[in-house]
Amino acid sequence: MQEKDKTRRKVLIGLTSAVGLSGLPFAATPFIAAWNPSAKAKAAGAPVKLDVSKMQYGQQIQVAWRKQPVFIVRHTKESLASLDLTLPKLADPNSDQIVELYKGLNLSRSKSPEYSVMSGVCTHLGCAPKYFPEVEPKPWDATWSGGFFCPCHGSMFDIVGRVFKGVPAPTNLVVPPHMFEGSILTIGEDKDL
Amino acid sequence: MMLRLINLKFFVFVIFFILILVCSNKTFAAEGGPCKDYGECDKFKYSLNDLESLQRGASTYINYCYGCHSLQYSRWGRVAKDLEIPEDIFFENLVFDKSIKPGDLMTGAMPEDAANWFGVTPPDLTLVSRYKGDDWIYTYLRAYYEDSSKQYGVNNLVYPGTAMPNVLLSLQGNQKLVCKDIPEIASNGGEKRDESGKTITKEKCGFLEVEEGTGQLSKEEFDSLIYDLTNFLVYIGEPSKATRERIGWYVVFYFLIFTALSSLLYREYHKDYNK
Amino acid sequence: MNEMASKLFSWVNKRLPIVNTFERHMSKHPVPSKVNFWYLFGALAAVTLIIQIVSGIWLIMPYSNTEEEAFSSIEYIMRDVDYGWVIRYIHTTGASLFFAVVYLHMFRGLLYGSYQKPRELVWIFGCTIYLAMMAEGFLGYVLPYGQMSYWGAQVIISLFGAIPYIGESLELWVRGDYYISGITVSRFFALHVVALPLVLIALVFLHLVALHEVGAGNPEGVDIEEHLDEDGIPLDSVPFFPYKVLNALVAIGVFMTVFSIIMFFFPEGGGYFIEMANFQKANPLVTPDHIAPVWYYAPFYTMLRAVPDPLGGLIVMASAVAIFFIVPWLDRSKVASIRYKGIFSKIALTLFGVSFLTLGYLGTVGVTEIRKLVSIICTVIYFSYFLLMPIYTKYEKTKEVPERL
Repeated sequence: MQEKDKTRRKVLIGLTSAVGLSGLPFAATPFIAAWNPSAKAKAAGAPVKLDVSKMQYGQQIQVAWRKQPVFIVRHTKESLASLDLTLPKLADPNSDQIVELYKGLNLSRSKSPEYSVMSGVCTHLGCAPKYFPEVEPKPWDATWSGGFFCPCHGSMFDIVGRVFKGVPAPTNLVVPPHMFEGSILTIGEDKDL
Repeated sequence: MMLRLINLKFFVFVIFFILILVCSNKTFAAEGGPCKDYGECDKFKYSLNDLESLQRGASTYINYCYGCHSLQYSRWGRVAKDLEIPEDIFFENLVFDKSIKPGDLMTGAMPEDAANWFGVTPPDLTLVSRYKGDDWIYTYLRAYYEDSSKQYGVNNLVYPGTAMPNVLLSLQGNQKLVCKDIPEIASNGGEKRDESGKTITKEKCGFLEVEEGTGQLSKEEFDSLIYDLTNFLVYIGEPSKATRERIGWYVVFYFLIFTALSSLLYREYHKDYNK
Repeated sequence: MNEMASKLFSWVNKRLPIVNTFERHMSKHPVPSKVNFWYLFGALAAVTLIIQIVSGIWLIMPYSNTEEEAFSSIEYIMRDVDYGWVIRYIHTTGASLFFAVVYLHMFRGLLYGSYQKPRELVWIFGCTIYLAMMAEGFLGYVLPYGQMSYWGAQVIISLFGAIPYIGESLELWVRGDYYISGITVSRFFALHVVALPLVLIALVFLHLVALHEVGAGNPEGVDIEEHLDEDGIPLDSVPFFPYKVLNALVAIGVFMTVFSIIMFFFPEGGGYFIEMANFQKANPLVTPDHIAPVWYYAPFYTMLRAVPDPLGGLIVMASAVAIFFIVPWLDRSKVASIRYKGIFSKIALTLFGVSFLTLGYLGTVGVTEIRKLVSIICTVIYFSYFLLMPIYTKYEKTKEVPERL
């Protein structure tokens, strides 16, 4: 075979394979995209609205957003003031290790100085921590000053969801996007963002 | 040369196959006539890239049809997004129930007991353009005429005895069946004339004519309203249709290039044994 | 790095016959050097099978096999699932083109005598694949639970009722209900997505193994094994890889162009690939005005209709498919290819082709007196082609087949 033919063959093989292979990502697109949350799943995971004005001080409630627990806590002035007391126990008091939406805005870590809004999914392995507001010695912490305790692996968080040192959970509880319109809290959407 | 012949034969064959499909489809369509007493349905050519037409159609649908006919497979937010209507304007003007969220299905505004109003439950119309066809809808909505023997005083040429009243009557006006003198057509296709050169006419009935001044819209305006409405129903029947036809060009183009290249490559290798 | 890779390869190769298999079935597998485009549909059928399996797997995920949700889950796929419409249209277009390609592949067999000795088993496996495909296609068409799904299935399942004595109870047993309900849909679903694909894949494997044992035919009907070179390789052959693979690649390019034109611009195929009535949810109380099978069953449906008695119709329809199996023993000709057969074979095959297409057309339109007559005539021609084959192939004058390709 002549040298010229060989080159032609090589070029054609290269071109055909290049065109053939370049089609693969496009062919794969529908199959990959079909696994995204569908419009139905997105509709079911739409933002949740609720009126929080009826909550009592110190009370914690749980709502489901995207079928996942979200904790809302209405803090008293005293409990917010005593947040400093737990500071030495905290691993990341200013949420420096995570991307936090409302960092440094309020002590409550949310958009409201009075309410905390946080995902009820432990950052360790996904259990739902329980709320223990009492300031009293607990089996897991003799100097407990109120907060969340995860029954699965013993992770501890303060009342605004910041993680303690030396527990399995690596980071603070996640604060989902939310907004307040008067006393109406919307979880999952923030028009200011 | 051999290869060229093969390819040619192949293409001729493929084209032949498509022709057979198209032809037999035509023969099939001519049979029976889905538009019944109206005769041949009026042709409808959708234009899904005309967003203004779709927006007007959506507005007409929601104002005049949605009260009875749900669009249960479609979601409010999707319509707003596809028709490029800003969500706040859309929800302000077209969504009357304020508890509705963008992700909700358009399940209708009918109360539970409404089925009895018309004797039959008004059907869901999400897919009407796909099981009836756009030609049919476009013709049907314009083929109502006055018929005092019917419950709502109207009948329809396309769907005789239809259970639906003519909800667009105030817009269209009073349409009646009239008789007209029309020229007779000679066997050569021209108009028949008598000895003095006058056209020979014959009275024929079954023509639709709107009584002057009874409707808010002129004939052209009404036709265009129905065009937009039908266009919207074509969209809602298959929301991805415009995208589909757009992507299609790229895909076909890609495979043409792939065919050309692989054909050159094959020809190159073909030399090995065809000397 | 290269050395590592080659070591790993030889480690695997000692335990898995990669090189051997590649040589045996690809680079050293001889195929006739001169064939025409009719010999490409087998490869296209394989491609379509893969397309159907992949798109099918992706459709199983969002599909719901209950009576309440089957229909709406299709619209869910078409609207709510990202690119769901692409996947569904791939599957519907693929189904029709699968049949188109297989029909052409089968016609090639009749044209060039591909079923003749020693390829009888290849042919029989092929016919079985076709049979399995018909079942697979029917079951799949029921799944969207639209009006055509329902009434099509109603007609086909009623055929079981035509069987004497056990008919009625068999019908009930197949449905598992007193009408075609969610129970029927979910058992059809299981068969469509698991049982029959397994059967199909196994049959395709056997079809290919048998084919590679006896080698591919050619349009001349020449036995290329008669003339070998000093290495025992047929003189009129080329290695399957790369020559035939490249040829197939061109065919795939053309096929995919046609595929995408249909899929993106005419996915309903003018009502032949997806019937209009199937966009309405199944309603056991209202029969659509016009019931037509999908085009690929249409010829057999016409035969069914042409016979006034249901049992007779069923027998005729079943025989029309079954008769393909015995073609290798009906053809008594000395030559394989139509090119060297006599005038009677040529006329018979042409008449057969025309009658098959006519039967297909008639199956998609309504019945009139004249159409009924035509369908009876075509049915007779269809069967005569096969039943008279032993006579006209044996006694007609054939041409001399050349020694070489």
